[in-house]
Amino acid sequence: MKTKKRRKGDASFAYALLSPSLLLMTLLIGYPMIYNIVISFQKVPLNPRLGSEFIGLKNYLSVFRDPTFYHSVLITLLFTMTVTILSTVLGLAVAVFLNREFVGKKLVNGIIILSYVVPSVCLIFSWRYMFNSIYGIVNYVVVDLLHITKEVPLWFDRPVSAFVLVTIFCLWRFFPYAYMSFNAILTSIDKTLYEAADLDGASPWESFMAVTFPAIKPTLVTVVSLRTIWVFYIYTEVYLLTKQVDVLGVYLYDMAFATHDFGKAAAISIVLFALIFALVLFIRRKVLVVEDE
Amino acid sequence: MNKKKTLSNIWFYFRVILLCVVLLFPFVIMVSISLKTTAETIGFPPTIIPRSWTLVHFRDIFNPRIFPFLQYFKNSLYIALVVSVVAVFLGVLGGYALSRLRFRGRNAMNEMFFLVYMFSGILLIVPLYKMLVTVGMRNTREAVIACMIVQTLPTAIYMTRSYFDTIPKELEEAGRVDGLSRMGTIFRIIVPLSVSSLVSVFVYAFMIAWNDVLFASIFIDSSELLTIPIGLNSLFNTPDYIWGRMMAASLITSLPVVVMYAFSQKLIRAGQIEGGIKG
Repeated sequence: MKTKKRRKGDASFAYALLSPSLLLMTLLIGYPMIYNIVISFQKVPLNPRLGSEFIGLKNYLSVFRDPTFYHSVLITLLFTMTVTILSTVLGLAVAVFLNREFVGKKLVNGIIILSYVVPSVCLIFSWRYMFNSIYGIVNYVVVDLLHITKEVPLWFDRPVSAFVLVTIFCLWRFFPYAYMSFNAILTSIDKTLYEAADLDGASPWESFMAVTFPAIKPTLVTVVSLRTIWVFYIYTEVYLLTKQVDVLGVYLYDMAFATHDFGKAAAISIVLFALIFALVLFIRRKVLVVEDE
Repeated sequence: MNKKKTLSNIWFYFRVILLCVVLLFPFVIMVSISLKTTAETIGFPPTIIPRSWTLVHFRDIFNPRIFPFLQYFKNSLYIALVVSVVAVFLGVLGGYALSRLRFRGRNAMNEMFFLVYMFSGILLIVPLYKMLVTVGMRNTREAVIACMIVQTLPTAIYMTRSYFDTIPKELEEAGRVDGLSRMGTIFRIIVPLSVSSLVSVFVYAFMIAWNDVLFASIFIDSSELLTIPIGLNSLFNTPDYIWGRMMAASLITSLPVVVMYAFSQKLIRAGQIEGGIKG
Protein backbone atom coordinates (compact mmCIF):
# COMPACT_ATOMS: atom_id res chain seq x y z
CA MET A 1 0.00 0.00 0.00
CA LYS A 2 2.74 2.36 0.95
CA THR A 3 4.85 1.84 -2.19
CA LYS A 4 1.95 2.71 -4.45
CA LYS A 5 1.20 5.83 -2.53
CA ARG A 6 4.81 7.01 -2.68
CA ARG A 7 4.75 7.54 -6.42
CA LYS A 8 1.62 9.58 -6.21
CA GLY A 9 3.00 11.55 -3.29
CA ASP A 10 6.12 12.44 -5.24
CA ALA A 11 4.55 15.42 -6.93
CA SER A 12 2.93 16.91 -3.86
CA PHE A 13 6.11 16.43 -1.83
CA ALA A 14 8.09 18.13 -4.60
CA TYR A 15 5.71 21.08 -4.67
CA ALA A 16 5.90 21.34 -0.90
CA LEU A 17 9.70 21.40 -1.01
CA LEU A 18 9.77 23.95 -3.79
CA SER A 19 6.97 26.14 -2.47
CA PRO A 20 9.07 28.52 -0.32
CA SER A 21 11.48 29.14 -3.21
CA LEU A 22 8.67 29.54 -5.69
CA LEU A 23 6.79 31.88 -3.40
CA LEU A 24 9.86 34.07 -2.96
CA MET A 25 10.61 34.09 -6.67
CA THR A 26 7.04 34.87 -7.58
CA LEU A 27 6.96 37.72 -5.07
CA LEU A 28 10.36 39.19 -5.84
CA ILE A 29 10.92 38.32 -9.51
CA GLY A 30 7.68 37.31 -11.20
CA TYR A 31 5.49 40.02 -9.75
CA PRO A 32 8.12 42.80 -10.18
CA MET A 33 8.53 41.82 -13.82
CA ILE A 34 4.85 42.48 -14.47
CA TYR A 35 4.76 45.49 -12.18
CA ASN A 36 7.76 46.87 -14.10
CA ILE A 37 5.74 46.79 -17.32
CA VAL A 38 2.89 48.59 -15.57
CA ILE A 39 5.21 51.29 -14.21
CA SER A 40 6.72 51.81 -17.64
CA PHE A 41 3.31 53.11 -18.81
CA GLN A 42 2.91 55.43 -15.84
CA LYS A 43 4.01 58.81 -14.65
CA VAL A 44 5.20 58.17 -11.12
CA PRO A 45 5.12 61.21 -8.82
CA LEU A 46 7.94 61.72 -6.34
CA ASN A 47 5.55 61.68 -3.40
CA PRO A 48 4.64 58.01 -2.86
CA ARG A 49 1.25 58.98 -1.44
CA LEU A 50 0.11 60.40 -4.75
CA GLY A 51 -1.15 57.87 -7.24
CA SER A 52 0.56 57.11 -10.52
CA GLU A 53 -1.04 58.21 -13.73
CA PHE A 54 -1.34 56.16 -16.92
CA ILE A 55 0.42 57.97 -19.75
CA GLY A 56 0.59 55.32 -22.47
CA LEU A 57 3.80 55.13 -24.42
CA LYS A 58 5.16 58.49 -23.31
CA ASN A 59 7.99 56.99 -21.25
CA TYR A 60 9.11 54.88 -24.18
CA LEU A 61 8.93 57.86 -26.53
CA SER A 62 10.95 59.85 -24.06
CA VAL A 63 13.59 57.11 -23.99
CA PHE A 64 13.73 56.85 -27.77
CA ARG A 65 13.97 60.64 -28.14
CA ASP A 66 16.79 60.88 -25.61
CA PRO A 67 20.19 61.22 -27.32
CA THR A 68 21.83 60.01 -24.09
CA PHE A 69 20.04 56.70 -24.55
CA TYR A 70 21.58 56.05 -27.98
CA HIS A 71 24.97 57.10 -26.74
CA SER A 72 24.52 54.73 -23.83
CA VAL A 73 23.50 51.85 -26.10
CA LEU A 74 26.58 52.35 -28.27
CA ILE A 75 28.91 52.55 -25.28
CA THR A 76 27.31 49.46 -23.77
CA LEU A 77 27.61 47.43 -26.98
CA LEU A 78 31.23 48.44 -27.43
CA PHE A 79 32.02 47.81 -23.79
CA THR A 80 30.24 44.44 -23.70
CA MET A 81 31.98 43.20 -26.84
CA THR A 82 35.41 44.36 -25.71
CA VAL A 83 35.18 42.98 -22.19
CA THR A 84 33.54 39.69 -23.21
CA ILE A 85 35.99 38.93 -26.00
CA LEU A 86 39.10 40.02 -24.13
CA SER A 87 38.21 38.32 -20.86
CA THR A 88 37.28 35.07 -22.61
CA VAL A 89 40.41 35.05 -24.77
CA LEU A 90 42.64 35.89 -21.84
CA GLY A 91 40.99 33.26 -19.64
CA LEU A 92 41.40 30.65 -22.35
CA ALA A 93 44.98 31.68 -23.13
CA VAL A 94 46.01 31.47 -19.48
CA ALA A 95 44.22 28.14 -19.08
CA VAL A 96 46.01 26.69 -22.11
CA PHE A 97 49.32 28.16 -20.98
CA LEU A 98 49.02 26.62 -17.50
CA ASN A 99 47.55 23.33 -18.70
CA ARG A 100 50.38 21.11 -17.43
CA GLU A 101 51.63 19.81 -14.15
CA PHE A 102 54.06 22.12 -12.39
CA VAL A 103 55.18 22.95 -8.89
CA GLY A 104 53.07 25.72 -7.37
CA LYS A 105 50.07 25.33 -9.66
CA LYS A 106 47.62 25.57 -6.77
CA LEU A 107 49.21 28.80 -5.62
CA VAL A 108 49.06 30.28 -9.11
CA ASN A 109 45.41 29.25 -9.38
CA GLY A 110 44.72 31.01 -6.10
CA ILE A 111 46.46 34.17 -7.29
CA ILE A 112 44.47 34.19 -10.52
CA ILE A 113 41.14 33.76 -8.74
CA LEU A 114 41.86 36.44 -6.14
CA SER A 115 40.59 39.38 -8.23
CA TYR A 116 37.35 37.48 -8.81
CA VAL A 117 36.71 36.71 -5.15
CA VAL A 118 37.61 39.98 -3.44
CA PRO A 119 34.73 42.50 -3.19
CA SER A 120 34.80 44.98 -6.05
CA VAL A 121 34.83 48.01 -3.75
CA CYS A 122 38.15 46.92 -2.27
CA LEU A 123 39.67 46.44 -5.70
CA ILE A 124 38.39 49.78 -6.85
CA PHE A 125 40.04 51.68 -3.99
CA SER A 126 43.36 50.29 -5.06
CA TRP A 127 42.74 51.27 -8.68
CA ARG A 128 41.66 54.76 -7.72
CA TYR A 129 44.92 55.11 -5.88
CA MET A 130 47.12 53.66 -8.64
CA PHE A 131 45.57 55.88 -11.29
CA ASN A 132 45.38 59.02 -9.15
CA SER A 133 46.50 61.95 -11.27
CA ILE A 134 48.64 63.57 -8.58
CA TYR A 135 50.45 60.82 -6.71
CA GLY A 136 49.36 57.64 -8.53
CA ILE A 137 52.01 55.15 -9.49
CA VAL A 138 50.71 54.68 -13.02
CA ASN A 139 51.17 58.30 -13.97
CA TYR A 140 54.53 58.31 -12.24
CA VAL A 141 55.67 55.46 -14.49
CA VAL A 142 53.99 56.73 -17.66
CA VAL A 143 54.95 60.41 -17.35
CA ASP A 144 57.99 60.72 -15.10
CA LEU A 145 59.85 57.49 -15.78
CA LEU A 146 59.01 56.51 -19.34
CA HIS A 147 58.09 59.98 -20.66
CA ILE A 148 55.37 58.50 -22.87
CA THR A 149 53.21 61.61 -22.57
CA LYS A 150 54.00 65.08 -21.31
CA GLU A 151 50.50 65.68 -20.11
CA VAL A 152 49.29 63.91 -17.02
CA PRO A 153 46.34 61.71 -18.05
CA LEU A 154 43.24 62.27 -15.92
CA TRP A 155 42.19 58.64 -16.08
CA PHE A 156 38.80 58.93 -14.41
CA ASP A 157 37.60 62.20 -15.90
CA ARG A 158 37.93 61.78 -19.65
CA PRO A 159 35.49 59.52 -21.50
CA VAL A 160 38.07 57.66 -23.55
CA SER A 161 40.66 57.06 -20.83
CA ALA A 162 37.89 56.18 -18.37
CA PHE A 163 36.56 53.64 -20.86
CA VAL A 164 40.02 52.10 -21.24
CA LEU A 165 40.46 52.04 -17.48
CA VAL A 166 37.12 50.35 -16.80
CA THR A 167 37.81 47.83 -19.57
CA ILE A 168 41.17 46.85 -18.10
CA PHE A 169 39.62 46.66 -14.65
CA CYS A 170 36.80 44.40 -15.81
CA LEU A 171 39.22 42.26 -17.77
CA TRP A 172 41.25 41.71 -14.63
CA ARG A 173 38.12 41.11 -12.56
CA PHE A 174 36.26 38.78 -14.93
CA PHE A 175 38.86 36.70 -16.79
CA PRO A 176 39.27 34.31 -13.83
CA TYR A 177 35.72 33.10 -14.45
CA ALA A 178 36.63 32.09 -18.01
CA TYR A 179 39.93 30.70 -16.76
CA MET A 180 38.23 28.46 -14.18
CA SER A 181 35.66 27.22 -16.66
CA PHE A 182 38.25 26.34 -19.31
CA ASN A 183 40.70 24.98 -16.78
CA ALA A 184 38.17 22.38 -15.65
CA ILE A 185 37.57 21.24 -19.23
CA LEU A 186 41.20 21.26 -20.36
CA THR A 187 42.33 18.97 -17.57
CA SER A 188 39.75 16.44 -18.72
CA ILE A 189 41.10 16.24 -22.29
CA ASP A 190 42.92 13.01 -22.99
CA LYS A 191 46.63 13.90 -23.28
CA THR A 192 47.23 11.14 -25.84
CA LEU A 193 45.19 13.14 -28.35
CA TYR A 194 47.87 15.84 -28.26
CA GLU A 195 50.58 13.24 -28.66
CA ALA A 196 48.78 11.84 -31.67
CA ALA A 197 48.47 15.31 -33.20
CA ASP A 198 52.14 15.86 -32.47
CA LEU A 199 53.07 12.64 -34.27
CA ASP A 200 51.01 13.75 -37.25
CA GLY A 201 53.21 16.83 -37.42
CA ALA A 202 50.55 19.30 -36.30
CA SER A 203 51.68 22.77 -35.23
CA PRO A 204 50.57 23.98 -31.77
CA TRP A 205 47.83 26.04 -33.43
CA GLU A 206 46.66 23.08 -35.52
CA SER A 207 46.51 20.80 -32.52
CA PHE A 208 44.62 23.51 -30.62
CA MET A 209 42.04 23.68 -33.39
CA ALA A 210 41.84 19.90 -33.82
CA VAL A 211 41.90 18.74 -30.20
CA THR A 212 41.30 21.61 -27.77
CA PHE A 213 38.69 23.65 -29.59
CA PRO A 214 36.08 20.92 -30.12
CA ALA A 215 36.39 19.94 -26.46
CA ILE A 216 35.96 23.45 -25.09
CA LYS A 217 33.28 24.61 -27.51
CA PRO A 218 30.25 24.03 -25.25
CA THR A 219 32.04 25.78 -22.39
CA LEU A 220 32.97 28.61 -24.73
CA VAL A 221 29.31 29.11 -25.69
CA THR A 222 28.27 29.22 -22.03
CA VAL A 223 31.07 31.52 -20.94
CA VAL A 224 30.51 33.97 -23.80
CA SER A 225 26.72 34.03 -23.39
CA LEU A 226 26.77 34.53 -19.65
CA ARG A 227 29.55 37.10 -19.72
CA THR A 228 27.75 39.03 -22.47
CA ILE A 229 24.59 39.22 -20.40
CA TRP A 230 26.36 40.13 -17.19
CA VAL A 231 28.49 42.84 -18.78
CA PHE A 232 25.52 44.17 -20.70
CA TYR A 233 23.70 45.17 -17.54
CA ILE A 234 26.81 45.86 -15.49
CA TYR A 235 26.46 48.58 -12.91
CA THR A 236 28.64 48.26 -9.82
CA GLU A 237 32.14 48.14 -11.26
CA VAL A 238 31.57 50.94 -13.75
CA TYR A 239 29.72 53.20 -11.36
CA LEU A 240 32.26 52.88 -8.59
CA LEU A 241 35.21 53.51 -10.86
CA THR A 242 34.15 56.49 -12.95
CA LYS A 243 31.27 58.78 -13.81
CA GLN A 244 32.39 59.06 -17.42
CA VAL A 245 31.27 55.71 -18.83
CA ASP A 246 27.49 55.81 -18.94
CA VAL A 247 26.59 52.22 -19.79
CA LEU A 248 22.91 51.29 -19.75
CA GLY A 249 23.04 50.01 -16.18
CA VAL A 250 24.33 53.35 -14.96
CA TYR A 251 21.86 55.25 -17.17
CA LEU A 252 19.01 53.21 -15.73
CA TYR A 253 20.17 53.59 -12.14
CA ASP A 254 20.62 57.34 -12.47
CA MET A 255 17.23 57.73 -14.12
CA ALA A 256 15.59 55.98 -11.17
CA PHE A 257 17.62 57.26 -8.23
CA ALA A 258 19.19 60.53 -9.37
CA THR A 259 16.56 61.95 -11.75
CA HIS A 260 13.78 60.10 -9.85
CA ASP A 261 11.85 59.35 -13.04
CA PHE A 262 10.65 55.83 -12.20
CA GLY A 263 8.38 55.56 -15.23
CA LYS A 264 11.18 56.28 -17.65
CA ALA A 265 13.59 54.07 -15.69
CA ALA A 266 11.12 51.19 -15.94
CA ALA A 267 10.83 51.78 -19.68
CA ILE A 268 14.64 51.71 -19.95
CA SER A 269 14.82 48.41 -18.10
CA ILE A 270 12.23 46.87 -20.43
CA VAL A 271 14.24 48.04 -23.44
CA LEU A 272 17.42 46.74 -21.80
CA PHE A 273 15.77 43.40 -21.20
CA ALA A 274 14.67 43.19 -24.84
CA LEU A 275 18.18 44.12 -26.03
CA ILE A 276 19.82 41.46 -23.86
CA PHE A 277 17.36 38.88 -25.06
CA ALA A 278 18.04 39.74 -28.70
CA LEU A 279 21.76 39.71 -28.08
CA VAL A 280 21.68 36.26 -26.51
CA LEU A 281 19.63 34.86 -29.38
CA PHE A 282 22.06 36.42 -31.84
CA ILE A 283 25.07 34.93 -30.07
CA ARG A 284 23.49 31.49 -29.89
CA ARG A 285 22.40 31.46 -33.52
CA LYS A 286 25.06 33.35 -35.43
CA VAL A 287 28.34 33.74 -33.64
CA LEU A 288 28.59 30.39 -31.96
CA VAL A 289 26.68 27.74 -33.80
CA VAL A 290 25.51 25.31 -31.16
CA GLU A 291 25.34 21.78 -32.41
CA ASP A 292 22.39 19.68 -31.42
CA GLU A 293 23.30 17.23 -28.72
CA MET B 1 68.15 17.70 -24.82
CA ASN B 2 68.08 17.97 -21.05
CA LYS B 3 69.56 21.44 -21.12
CA LYS B 4 66.93 22.51 -23.59
CA LYS B 5 64.25 21.20 -21.26
CA THR B 6 65.69 23.10 -18.30
CA LEU B 7 65.79 26.28 -20.34
CA SER B 8 62.21 25.91 -21.47
CA ASN B 9 61.22 25.25 -17.86
CA ILE B 10 62.93 28.44 -16.73
CA TRP B 11 61.20 30.35 -19.51
CA PHE B 12 57.85 28.86 -18.46
CA TYR B 13 58.33 29.79 -14.80
CA PHE B 14 59.51 33.25 -15.79
CA ARG B 15 56.24 33.86 -17.61
CA VAL B 16 54.18 32.37 -14.78
CA ILE B 17 55.85 34.69 -12.28
CA LEU B 18 55.38 37.66 -14.59
CA LEU B 19 51.68 36.85 -14.86
CA CYS B 20 51.35 36.61 -11.08
CA VAL B 21 53.19 39.88 -10.51
CA VAL B 22 50.89 41.73 -12.91
CA LEU B 23 47.74 40.19 -11.43
CA LEU B 24 48.85 40.83 -7.86
CA PHE B 25 50.09 44.35 -8.35
CA PRO B 26 46.90 46.13 -7.18
CA PHE B 27 46.91 43.93 -4.07
CA VAL B 28 50.53 44.80 -3.40
CA ILE B 29 49.58 48.46 -3.59
CA MET B 30 46.70 47.83 -1.20
CA VAL B 31 48.94 46.17 1.38
CA SER B 32 51.68 48.74 0.94
CA ILE B 33 49.39 51.72 1.49
CA SER B 34 47.72 50.18 4.50
CA LEU B 35 51.18 50.04 6.12
CA LYS B 36 52.32 53.56 5.16
CA THR B 37 51.98 56.80 7.02
CA THR B 38 49.41 59.18 5.59
CA ALA B 39 52.09 61.64 4.51
CA GLU B 40 53.82 58.96 2.51
CA THR B 41 50.66 57.75 0.77
CA ILE B 42 50.19 61.13 -0.86
CA GLY B 43 53.87 61.85 -1.31
CA PHE B 44 55.66 61.97 -4.63
CA PRO B 45 57.28 59.97 -6.13
CA PRO B 46 55.17 57.00 -4.99
CA THR B 47 56.88 54.11 -3.23
CA ILE B 48 55.94 50.45 -3.21
CA ILE B 49 57.87 49.41 -0.13
CA PRO B 50 57.00 51.83 2.69
CA ARG B 51 59.88 53.96 3.96
CA SER B 52 58.41 53.91 7.44
CA TRP B 53 56.07 51.14 8.50
CA THR B 54 53.03 51.66 10.66
CA LEU B 55 50.08 49.61 11.87
CA VAL B 56 48.16 52.70 12.93
CA HIS B 57 45.52 52.32 10.18
CA PHE B 58 44.64 48.80 11.28
CA ARG B 59 44.23 50.08 14.81
CA ASP B 60 42.21 53.10 13.68
CA ILE B 61 39.63 51.20 11.66
CA PHE B 62 38.69 49.17 14.73
CA ASN B 63 38.19 52.29 16.80
CA PRO B 64 34.48 53.12 16.49
CA ARG B 65 35.02 56.68 17.62
CA ILE B 66 37.03 57.62 14.54
CA PHE B 67 35.96 55.07 11.93
CA PRO B 68 32.59 53.30 11.63
CA PHE B 69 34.08 50.15 10.09
CA LEU B 70 32.90 47.78 12.82
CA GLN B 71 29.33 48.99 12.42
CA TYR B 72 29.49 48.38 8.66
CA PHE B 73 31.07 45.01 9.27
CA LYS B 74 28.25 44.00 11.60
CA ASN B 75 25.60 45.00 9.03
CA SER B 76 27.33 43.20 6.19
CA LEU B 77 27.83 40.11 8.31
CA TYR B 78 24.18 40.05 9.36
CA ILE B 79 22.96 40.37 5.77
CA ALA B 80 25.43 37.87 4.32
CA LEU B 81 24.82 35.27 7.04
CA VAL B 82 21.04 35.37 6.79
CA VAL B 83 21.18 35.26 2.99
CA SER B 84 23.55 32.31 2.86
CA VAL B 85 21.78 30.27 5.55
CA VAL B 86 18.43 30.73 3.80
CA ALA B 87 19.97 30.03 0.38
CA VAL B 88 21.50 26.77 1.62
CA PHE B 89 18.28 25.68 3.33
CA LEU B 90 16.03 26.45 0.36
CA GLY B 91 18.73 25.05 -1.92
CA VAL B 92 18.56 21.70 -0.12
CA LEU B 93 14.78 21.53 -0.38
CA GLY B 94 14.56 22.72 -3.98
CA GLY B 95 17.61 20.78 -5.13
CA TYR B 96 16.22 17.59 -3.67
CA ALA B 97 12.88 18.04 -5.40
CA LEU B 98 14.48 18.70 -8.77
CA SER B 99 17.04 15.93 -8.42
CA ARG B 100 14.95 13.10 -7.01
CA LEU B 101 11.26 13.64 -7.63
CA ARG B 102 9.30 13.36 -10.84
CA PHE B 103 6.52 15.87 -11.10
CA ARG B 104 4.72 18.03 -13.57
CA GLY B 105 6.49 21.24 -14.49
CA ARG B 106 9.91 19.94 -13.47
CA ASN B 107 11.59 20.92 -16.73
CA ALA B 108 9.81 24.24 -16.82
CA MET B 109 11.12 24.92 -13.34
CA ASN B 110 14.67 24.04 -14.31
CA GLU B 111 14.46 26.44 -17.22
CA MET B 112 12.94 29.14 -15.09
CA PHE B 113 15.76 28.91 -12.56
CA PHE B 114 18.31 29.21 -15.34
CA LEU B 115 16.50 32.22 -16.78
CA VAL B 116 16.47 33.96 -13.43
CA TYR B 117 20.17 33.16 -13.10
CA MET B 118 20.82 35.11 -16.29
CA PHE B 119 18.40 37.99 -15.88
CA SER B 120 18.33 39.72 -12.59
CA GLY B 121 20.11 42.44 -10.71
CA ILE B 122 19.59 45.90 -12.06
CA LEU B 123 16.68 45.05 -14.36
CA LEU B 124 14.17 44.94 -11.53
CA ILE B 125 15.40 47.73 -9.26
CA VAL B 126 12.49 50.06 -10.00
CA PRO B 127 9.59 47.71 -9.16
CA LEU B 128 11.49 46.11 -6.26
CA TYR B 129 12.18 49.50 -4.77
CA LYS B 130 8.58 50.63 -5.13
CA MET B 131 7.17 47.38 -3.74
CA LEU B 132 9.42 47.12 -0.71
CA VAL B 133 9.04 50.80 0.12
CA THR B 134 5.26 50.42 -0.05
CA VAL B 135 5.34 47.62 2.52
CA GLY B 136 7.48 49.77 4.80
CA MET B 137 10.86 48.14 4.20
CA ARG B 138 12.64 51.30 3.19
CA ASN B 139 15.94 51.70 5.01
CA THR B 140 15.96 48.16 6.39
CA ARG B 141 18.59 45.48 6.05
CA GLU B 142 15.79 42.98 5.53
CA ALA B 143 14.93 44.56 2.16
CA VAL B 144 18.50 43.89 1.02
CA ILE B 145 18.32 40.36 2.45
CA ALA B 146 15.11 39.59 0.57
CA CYS B 147 16.57 40.76 -2.74
CA MET B 148 19.86 38.94 -2.21
CA ILE B 149 18.13 35.66 -1.35
CA VAL B 150 16.24 35.74 -4.62
CA GLN B 151 19.44 36.65 -6.47
CA THR B 152 21.33 33.67 -5.09
CA LEU B 153 18.53 31.11 -4.95
CA PRO B 154 18.63 29.86 -8.57
CA THR B 155 22.35 29.09 -8.37
CA ALA B 156 21.96 27.57 -4.91
CA ILE B 157 19.27 25.21 -6.16
CA TYR B 158 21.22 24.42 -9.30
CA MET B 159 24.37 23.61 -7.34
CA THR B 160 22.64 21.38 -4.80
CA ARG B 161 20.65 19.62 -7.48
CA SER B 162 23.80 18.81 -9.48
CA TYR B 163 25.42 17.42 -6.37
CA PHE B 164 22.41 15.40 -5.25
CA ASP B 165 22.34 13.81 -8.70
CA THR B 166 25.67 12.15 -7.87
CA ILE B 167 24.42 10.54 -4.64
CA PRO B 168 23.25 6.93 -5.18
CA LYS B 169 19.53 6.42 -4.63
CA GLU B 170 20.12 3.15 -2.77
CA LEU B 171 21.42 5.02 0.25
CA GLU B 172 18.10 6.78 0.61
CA GLU B 173 16.09 3.63 0.20
CA ALA B 174 18.10 2.04 2.99
CA GLY B 175 17.16 4.96 5.20
CA ARG B 176 13.49 4.64 4.29
CA VAL B 177 13.57 0.97 5.16
CA ASP B 178 14.98 1.96 8.54
CA GLY B 179 11.85 4.02 9.08
CA LEU B 180 13.02 7.54 8.30
CA SER B 181 10.43 9.98 6.99
CA ARG B 182 10.99 11.76 3.69
CA MET B 183 12.22 14.89 5.44
CA GLY B 184 14.31 12.60 7.63
CA THR B 185 16.08 11.07 4.62
CA ILE B 186 16.89 14.53 3.31
CA PHE B 187 18.38 15.84 6.53
CA ARG B 188 19.82 12.61 7.96
CA ILE B 189 21.17 11.01 4.80
CA ILE B 190 21.46 13.47 1.91
CA VAL B 191 22.65 16.53 3.79
CA PRO B 192 25.50 14.84 5.71
CA LEU B 193 26.74 13.39 2.42
CA SER B 194 26.73 16.80 0.74
CA VAL B 195 28.61 18.91 3.25
CA SER B 196 31.30 19.99 0.79
CA SER B 197 28.76 21.09 -1.80
CA LEU B 198 26.57 22.84 0.78
CA VAL B 199 29.60 24.70 2.07
CA SER B 200 30.28 25.97 -1.43
CA VAL B 201 26.66 27.05 -1.81
CA PHE B 202 27.00 28.89 1.48
CA VAL B 203 30.24 30.54 0.37
CA TYR B 204 28.76 31.48 -2.99
CA ALA B 205 25.73 33.16 -1.43
CA PHE B 206 27.85 34.79 1.25
CA MET B 207 30.19 36.28 -1.34
CA ILE B 208 27.38 37.63 -3.48
CA ALA B 209 25.72 39.25 -0.46
CA TRP B 210 29.02 40.49 0.96
CA ASN B 211 29.90 42.13 -2.37
CA ASP B 212 26.54 43.70 -3.00
CA VAL B 213 26.55 47.39 -3.77
CA LEU B 214 23.40 47.78 -5.83
CA PHE B 215 20.62 46.73 -3.43
CA ALA B 216 22.27 48.17 -0.34
CA SER B 217 22.67 51.51 -2.09
CA ILE B 218 19.01 51.55 -3.11
CA PHE B 219 17.47 50.58 0.18
CA ILE B 220 19.75 51.83 2.91
CA ASP B 221 20.06 55.52 3.77
CA SER B 222 20.91 55.84 7.44
CA SER B 223 24.58 55.63 8.32
CA GLU B 224 24.17 53.10 11.11
CA LEU B 225 22.71 50.53 8.68
CA LEU B 226 25.26 50.91 5.88
CA THR B 227 27.09 47.79 4.71
CA ILE B 228 30.84 47.72 4.13
CA PRO B 229 30.82 48.36 0.36
CA ILE B 230 28.50 51.35 0.39
CA GLY B 231 29.75 52.57 3.74
CA LEU B 232 33.36 52.68 2.67
CA ASN B 233 32.41 54.18 -0.64
CA SER B 234 30.41 56.92 1.04
CA LEU B 235 33.42 57.75 3.21
CA PHE B 236 35.52 57.82 0.10
CA ASN B 237 33.43 60.58 -1.37
CA THR B 238 34.04 62.84 1.60
CA PRO B 239 37.10 65.07 1.32
CA ASP B 240 38.82 63.81 4.46
CA TYR B 241 39.20 60.13 3.66
CA ILE B 242 42.48 58.59 4.63
CA TRP B 243 44.02 56.21 2.11
CA GLY B 244 45.68 53.99 4.69
CA ARG B 245 42.40 53.39 6.51
CA MET B 246 40.53 52.64 3.30
CA MET B 247 43.13 50.08 2.27
CA ALA B 248 43.32 48.52 5.72
CA ALA B 249 39.52 48.28 5.75
CA SER B 250 39.58 46.77 2.23
CA LEU B 251 42.03 44.10 3.30
CA ILE B 252 40.00 43.19 6.38
CA THR B 253 36.86 43.12 4.21
CA SER B 254 38.47 40.78 1.71
CA LEU B 255 39.78 38.41 4.34
CA PRO B 256 36.56 36.51 5.20
CA VAL B 257 35.61 35.80 1.60
CA VAL B 258 39.13 34.81 0.57
CA VAL B 259 39.48 32.45 3.54
CA MET B 260 36.01 30.99 3.00
CA TYR B 261 36.62 30.52 -0.69
CA ALA B 262 39.95 28.79 -0.12
CA PHE B 263 38.34 26.54 2.49
CA SER B 264 35.45 25.57 0.21
CA GLN B 265 37.87 24.78 -2.63
CA LYS B 266 39.76 22.46 -0.30
CA LEU B 267 36.53 20.64 0.55
CA ILE B 268 35.40 20.42 -3.05
CA ARG B 269 38.63 19.03 -4.39
CA ALA B 270 37.52 15.48 -3.56
CA GLY B 271 34.19 15.64 -5.38
CA GLN B 272 34.57 18.28 -8.06
CA ILE B 273 31.30 20.03 -8.79
CA GLU B 274 30.65 21.92 -11.94
CA GLY B 275 30.24 25.57 -12.64
CA GLY B 276 31.79 28.75 -11.37
CA ILE B 277 30.31 31.57 -9.43
CA LYS B 278 28.31 34.40 -10.77
CA GLY B 279 29.92 37.76 -10.82
